[in-house]
Amino acid sequence: MFASSWLILFFPLLGFIGLSWYGNRLSKKLAGLIGCGTVGASFFMTLVTLSNLLFLPAEERVGQVQTLYQWMSAGSFKLNLAILVDPLSVFMFLIVTGVGFVIHVYSVGYMHDDPEYSRFFSYLNLFIFSMLLLVAAADFFFLIVGWALVGLASYLLIGFWREKTSAVLAARKAFVMNVIGDVGMVIAAFAIFESFGTLNFVDVFVAAPGMFRPNDDTVLLITLLLLVGAFAKSAQLPLHTWLPDAMEGPTPVSALIHAATMVTAGVYLVARCHVLYELVPYTMYFIAGVGILTAVFAGSMALVQYDIKRVIAYSTMSQLGYMFLAVGIGVYSLGMFHLMTHAFFKALLFLAAGSVIHSLDGEQDIRKMGGLQRVMPLTHATFLIGALALAGFPLTSGYFSKEAIILSSYHAEMGNFVFWAIAVLTAGMTAFYIFRVYFYTFVGGLRSPGAHPHESPMIMVVPLAVLAVLALLGGLLGPWVDSFLSPVFGRVVEHHHDGALETIALVAGIGGIATAGLLYMVSKDRMDLIKEAMAPIYDLLFHKYYVDEIYDFLIVSPTKAIGAFLEQKAEREGIDFVVDEVGLQVKEVSRGISLWQSGKVRTYALNMIVGMVTILLFVVFM
Amino acid sequence: MGEQFVLLISAAIFCVGTAGFVIRKNPLIMFMSVELMLNSVNFLLVTYSSFLNSLDGQIFALMIMAVAAAEVVVGLAIILTIFRTRHDMDVDHIDVLKG
Repeated sequence: MFASSWLILFFPLLGFIGLSWYGNRLSKKLAGLIGCGTVGASFFMTLVTLSNLLFLPAEERVGQVQTLYQWMSAGSFKLNLAILVDPLSVFMFLIVTGVGFVIHVYSVGYMHDDPEYSRFFSYLNLFIFSMLLLVAAADFFFLIVGWALVGLASYLLIGFWREKTSAVLAARKAFVMNVIGDVGMVIAAFAIFESFGTLNFVDVFVAAPGMFRPNDDTVLLITLLLLVGAFAKSAQLPLHTWLPDAMEGPTPVSALIHAATMVTAGVYLVARCHVLYELVPYTMYFIAGVGILTAVFAGSMALVQYDIKRVIAYSTMSQLGYMFLAVGIGVYSLGMFHLMTHAFFKALLFLAAGSVIHSLDGEQDIRKMGGLQRVMPLTHATFLIGALALAGFPLTSGYFSKEAIILSSYHAEMGNFVFWAIAVLTAGMTAFYIFRVYFYTFVGGLRSPGAHPHESPMIMVVPLAVLAVLALLGGLLGPWVDSFLSPVFGRVVEHHHDGALETIALVAGIGGIATAGLLYMVSKDRMDLIKEAMAPIYDLLFHKYYVDEIYDFLIVSPTKAIGAFLEQKAEREGIDFVVDEVGLQVKEVSRGISLWQSGKVRTYALNMIVGMVTILLFVVFM
Repeated sequence: MGEQFVLLISAAIFCVGTAGFVIRKNPLIMFMSVELMLNSVNFLLVTYSSFLNSLDGQIFALMIMAVAAAEVVVGLAIILTIFRTRHDMDVDHIDVLKG
């Protein structure tokens, strides 16, 4: 029944192979068509799978494993090339292929003047395939394969403009950070195989509750190691530094990979492995704690940045923190719901920002923008919708998902006042920083005199409009998401209603918007005064809490120093010295021996005769 | 003529060839010395073939002559080429392969 679900993965893979082999010979139009068409086809197949799934009664929707063939068999270890079709994976398929398709279409316009157009689309298709493999995997092995492949695709796309040094450095940083996570995942997989003798999700999750007591050391270790991967991929503390730098890539990449899909893989992982996590409440609290800390930490950094994409990147980290908070306190479907609405409005914000950057010929500094609402009415409207959704303005999609998480952070079984207070504080910050960007960019007069901004072409505006509709109305899907995902999580999430808390969160959001507006209207001199009064905090935030510098001091510099020391002492004066000496000595000895070789024919003949006579005498007389 | 006589003659010719090869410096003379050594062996083979009433030795002698002829062709060609390039026929001067 779900065999055709394989086609979801097949189309983007086909697109990737085709575009990378024949890309140079294809016209731009055809390359764009293939890039978008394969993802579109994949989205269509997802819809087919979804409708098949909805025909089944709810309890039969989980554990539908589609095996293609046995890939490997070594002793008791068997590995099937299989995908798991259940509400959670189909939910992720919908987001990846749906939002992915819209962003592909947008890229046709955004990358139109790039000479390496087909290379861009082949990487994008590779990413879509890898991400689908990650969420479709039916065992930890293929999960890790997908996990590593999205890291590769992310690396290739961040460094897409390879002539830019900063882009290449950012790509390397992202890759190294992600590999730290991959190592954690691989060790976790070893531990899982050691304990369970299998890597299949279904087998592991069925066996786990019976095998371990709560807070058992083994499960604690497994869950924490999986978290290393989750935190690295989802840019949570302390492995977050790569995400802001990843904004060096083209904007559609930031929207697709570093906002809507790949960075949410960590949240997906926790939701997928919720059976394991529920065995260890310690880890659950840890996830919630790291999530909420990242939320407030990233939110505060976003307050003072001037690069439009960086602000949105910090915002992504902050929103991912909310999702981790949600899955950490056990309200998985709320986390997944926020993942979905976030994919809509954050992709929208990135694409709208990309539209602005495109029209200003690559300018990303919000201080040089301004007044764009007159020249770019459509981009302005869509950005405003995205900003309102992010700020959690009533009746937008962000309102429903974020409000539900904030309420649960207090009312859920594992919630408490601290989580709630920080969540509300972050909500206020979120509203402030995104509207700060909004006012800087779209209101007032144009601050960069040389620029000639213009509205973007239709192929970029239409995707914006589609995402704007989703960002506006996506909140209505909330109840459906809850009931659709409930078979996977084994229960329907409980919704709380608390008028007072809801009002406070709402006031925080609107207060943030109002503060941004007020500060914008304040004259520049007063603004400088405020900045001066807050200088220590401002500097701390502007330099991103000096985390990069701390890492540089603690890890990068010592490693480089050790490397330089070993290069000189161990390599040059140790190994190289020995090898060179052996070579030189052999050469010396050979020179001595080679003197025997006189080159004179008669000497050789004499030696031969003497030798033969000696042998003859020996044979005859001995 | 007894076997001993033939053996002695043959050994004497071989020694003359060997000495000539080691003593002389002219490659042509050295070459002739080599032929002398070969023919001392031929002499022995032919004689013994008649003593032992077997044709094997004579056939073998013919073989050696044929091979020697071929060898002479190659050797003379090399000597000629060396002379053309170096204008010098002293084998002690031809020592570019020394260590």
